[in-house]
Amino acid sequence: MSATTVEAPPARPGGRVPEVRPPRERRHVWAYLLPVCVVSTLVFVVPLLFTIWTATHDTKYYEIGAFNGLSTISAMFADDRLLSQVLITLGFAGGALVIALPLGLLSAIALNRVRRLKRTVRSLFLLPWLMSQATAGTIWLWFLNPNFGPATDLTNRLGLGSTDVFSSPGPAFLAITLITAWWSYPQAMLLFLGALQTVPVELKESMQVDGGNAWQTFRNVTLPFIRNTVVSVAVVLLMLYVQMVTIILVTTRGGPLGGTETLAMRTYNQMFVGYDMSGAAASALLLFVINVVLTLVAVRFRRRETL
Amino acid sequence: MRRLRSVFAAVTAVLTVAAAGACAGPTDDTAGAGGKVTLTYWDFIDPSQDNARSKALKENIDAFQVDNPDIAVKLEVVSYGDMLSRLPQASAAGQGPDIVKMYTPNVPQLVDAKVYQPLPDAYKEVTDWLRPIDQLVDGDGKQVAVPYEYRTCSLVYNKKLLAAAGANSAPKTWDEVVQVAGKVAKNGSIGFGTGFSEADNSAIMAELFDCFMSELKVPVEDPAAAFASPGAQEYAQFFADLKAAGGLSKSVVADQYSTVTDGLSNGRVAMAVIGTHRIQSVQKVNPDVDWAPLPAAKNGSNTSATFGWTLGVGSSSKNADAAWKFINYMTGPVAQTRMASGGEVPARAATYDDPFFKTDAAKAVLAIREYVEKDSEPHAYPQNWLKVAGGLSSAGQQLYLKGATADQMVQTAKAAATS
Repeated sequence: MSATTVEAPPARPGGRVPEVRPPRERRHVWAYLLPVCVVSTLVFVVPLLFTIWTATHDTKYYEIGAFNGLSTISAMFADDRLLSQVLITLGFAGGALVIALPLGLLSAIALNRVRRLKRTVRSLFLLPWLMSQATAGTIWLWFLNPNFGPATDLTNRLGLGSTDVFSSPGPAFLAITLITAWWSYPQAMLLFLGALQTVPVELKESMQVDGGNAWQTFRNVTLPFIRNTVVSVAVVLLMLYVQMVTIILVTTRGGPLGGTETLAMRTYNQMFVGYDMSGAAASALLLFVINVVLTLVAVRFRRRETL
Repeated sequence: MRRLRSVFAAVTAVLTVAAAGACAGPTDDTAGAGGKVTLTYWDFIDPSQDNARSKALKENIDAFQVDNPDIAVKLEVVSYGDMLSRLPQASAAGQGPDIVKMYTPNVPQLVDAKVYQPLPDAYKEVTDWLRPIDQLVDGDGKQVAVPYEYRTCSLVYNKKLLAAAGANSAPKTWDEVVQVAGKVAKNGSIGFGTGFSEADNSAIMAELFDCFMSELKVPVEDPAAAFASPGAQEYAQFFADLKAAGGLSKSVVADQYSTVTDGLSNGRVAMAVIGTHRIQSVQKVNPDVDWAPLPAAKNGSNTSATFGWTLGVGSSSKNADAAWKFINYMTGPVAQTRMASGGEVPARAATYDDPFFKTDAAKAVLAIREYVEKDSEPHAYPQNWLKVAGGLSSAGQQLYLKGATADQMVQTAKAAATS
């Protein structure tokens, strides 16, 4: 198979470049793109426009009333809890990422070297991700229960006292961050595992022949090959964490004292506790903007680091 | 070949649009072949589970379908939390269930969200409800739901833990509860089990508030007035005193309804106010557990609130008469006797004529029925009960973690309920 190249015709006297018509195959590309565009419009553009529409109108339950301009959005920015919720969201997402990304990479490197019982070991590593978020949250809630949870039994025996992590804002925040990282790291691991298998063995062998140790091989051979995957995984996980609701809902529902109330949790509470669809739409738009900014930052980083 | 590809691409695009349109369009599968009506019914009980309530539900639905071959009941298992979020959404889209099962305090909110339609006039033929049903109405005073079962608050306690603390009987006032809870805590157990977590819609805090206010004759229908009353102060002071006496669990901020019942079951919690429907399941696991009427408030009253699950017809239903037929069956003597064997308290007097209620197996249900009838009253709820409940939990967290006073606790709860 050979790539089709189109050479630009020579410029005519007078400097005008004649119009170049793309080959016929390219003219049909829109016909192939059309279904994608239609689906994207239906599942992304229309909901986004509907969210903007909802945020700029009064609502009662699921009924949309009169246009209210930017009053819902102004009210959101006037809410003195908003800044703390944004910081909690960024702290939670960043914290979980900082744990899950290296953990996923290390697990993938370890699994890539496993030769015996490969499938069994991989399945064990994948276990957290196979659980639903609700199940994962409930299991940890039970495990860490300060009155009768197994963790409390263990820490009491060691003389450390009970595992009372969900009763104050700081430890509860740490707990949901760790639980989320634990639940999601297999997703990173799987993607890294795929990327690791594309690293040429010859390059690693050459490095070893030149006297490079394991760390130097990883840093100079493996990492450059999987760098784009690392960025992609970081983007995927960040999106997941910024929008995370279920684990927080099951364990703390944003409490205590709002210490685990992320923007996603705020949106959920506005929608399903306060039935304030307009307010929830405004929060969802802010969440969307944060997601877009994080993605743009990551994508820009990815381009710079292209091999 | 190229032309063929173009045609294929265009057809794909058209089909995609057509398929998306088909997905978005409303569907109506209520009337099947031969005019058979299919009713959708949302319940949180999973009939495939191996427990008495699940078995009773399955038997009731099967029996109804045998008696009514022209009606099929399609049960969808939906958790309580999901019902609260999905019912307004589904009803607004015209996709709500034909039969709505809902907890009494949440009925007004769902009425406001247009989840219900008025019951067919046939409901008036049933007149033997144990308690009045006139609070289950819409804004025009039309009946939208009827009781499915009854429950109220009770003081559930561990006899051994109380005896070890020098109390040989259940406390009869809230002040006594505080004193005994403090003594139990000194012995290393949890004096009074409750939870300030919002994770389960603040269920245990809201239930106690409801019953406490009932004792004090404070209507909770208007949260602003309720929180401005001395009754709210008395309620908050009870928690402040409990905290001062050391009677609360160290994990009270994270505890919720299930944590408290688990604590009663495993003998860690000495006392708690829980719904009467939980008594039998806790006693089954821990025979040291007994129950008593709600402790009296300062006015001497211990008349609690009557609540429980209700059944109504969904606003999207096109089969209101068939839906009422099902509701009438489920609240009727045959179905309710099966439910009673699963531990629930039937809502209609006629049910208690069944021979089952002469047996020893029915003694516990009969005792609770007597208590519900004698010591509790149904009342109206506000349209934002979930917010009221959430505010109570936040106020409890402020009390425990920030050292808020009883007055500050009331103000926090009031602010949340009236925001």
